[in-house]
Amino acid sequence: MADLVAVPSSSSWEFSCDLEVDFKSADKATIVYTALAVDKELQPDKVKRQMTVADGKLYVHFEATEPRFLRASFSAFMDVLTLATKTIEEFGQGIFQ
Amino acid sequence: MTKRMVALGFEGSANKIGVGVVTLDGTILSNPRHTYITPPGHGFLPRETAQHHLQHVLPLVRSALHDAGVTPDQIDCLCYTKGPGMGAPLQVSAVVVRVLSQMWKKPIVGVNHCVAHIEMGRVVTGACDPVVLYVSGGNTQVIAYSEGRYRIFGETIDIAVGNCLDRFARVLTLSNDPSPGYNIEQLAKKGEQFIELPYAVKGIDVSFSGILSYIEATAVEKLKSNECTPADLCYSLQETLFAMLVEITERAMAHCDKKDVLIVGGVGCNERLQEMMRIMCSERGGNLFATDDRYCIDNGAMIAYTGLLAYAHGLSTPLEESTFTQRFRTDEVLAVWREPKESHVADGLKKDMRLQQVN
Repeated sequence: MADLVAVPSSSSWEFSCDLEVDFKSADKATIVYTALAVDKELQPDKVKRQMTVADGKLYVHFEATEPRFLRASFSAFMDVLTLATKTIEEFGQGIFQ
Repeated sequence: MTKRMVALGFEGSANKIGVGVVTLDGTILSNPRHTYITPPGHGFLPRETAQHHLQHVLPLVRSALHDAGVTPDQIDCLCYTKGPGMGAPLQVSAVVVRVLSQMWKKPIVGVNHCVAHIEMGRVVTGACDPVVLYVSGGNTQVIAYSEGRYRIFGETIDIAVGNCLDRFARVLTLSNDPSPGYNIEQLAKKGEQFIELPYAVKGIDVSFSGILSYIEATAVEKLKSNECTPADLCYSLQETLFAMLVEITERAMAHCDKKDVLIVGGVGCNERLQEMMRIMCSERGGNLFATDDRYCIDNGAMIAYTGLLAYAHGLSTPLEESTFTQRFRTDEVLAVWREPKESHVADGLKKDMRLQQVN
């Protein structure tokens, strides 16, 4: 479900990666986006995270100053993304058309 | 007949994840929880604890709803622990609540963990306006309600009393099942010899880290030379720590002129602590209120109940503000559900004063 690309780029935000999750539903993607957008990155000077929703998909872009920050942030995000998705699967029956 | 108000509450600030369903009168419809138990000699770390919560939270939601016999449409609000606690574990409850809130179209209420312990203790025991001793693995506070808030009269200046006990259990490599404190309590009953330990009360505050360092060093030495048994050490540690807690609680009682004590938090189910506190209370003509492990130890119902009290008084947390925070002091919360009666009294007093001025 996810496409990952780690691209070294210029500037101090040298390390980045992109995540794309296809919920095949604008409602589901928006719910996950809204739930996860509340928690800001804990070290904004080291990791940045941008999220967008389009065509029933959630797009997440991470940028970090060091690989370890990128990995930690991405890994933590995957845990809560999985949790949010499972919550929808488990308790969203009959809610989405 | 008005519809009864129902709340679903999530607690996951430490090594327990719990989901509870309660009504506004304090009836607990369901309260399942699961504890992350580490091997003897080990404590629980944020990341592993969060993984445990991730695994168990959704099955717990299902069984909480099933046991309570309620469906999502019967729920008035979704409550979660906003803090204090460990960050990653706190996030698990917050994320589930945010998703459910959007799907079920229910409001969210963020709850202070410490205040939830107090409200749960009050509703279960019927204690009206006690001095509260809140003792757990992460917190040690002596609290009393005054002017809209739960005020902290005294607290630990370093580690929590439960943390001191937990870490000593690790030195003895006692089992963490069901909890290190429980196993210390059982072993302490077999203690025969009292070993003098440092005693660190500073006004209404306490300090435990020095006692822990001392007993950690002493334990290894004295056990090696057969001068004492692990049971003696557990007994001595409990007697010393609990004597300190009783002393600061009594001091707070004298300050606020209250006669009753309520003990809440995980260490609060220790029967020796309850016994010592009961003796002190009876000497002052008051009563001790305490609960057993079902309510003392972190659980979802305490969050649901406290959140529902706030919600019934018009409070809720907008989704975009439903954050969690590792630091969240007891006295930051306005306990609006306790205000009406008190403010009537205050209004009455003001009127009296005005009358006196006129006269």
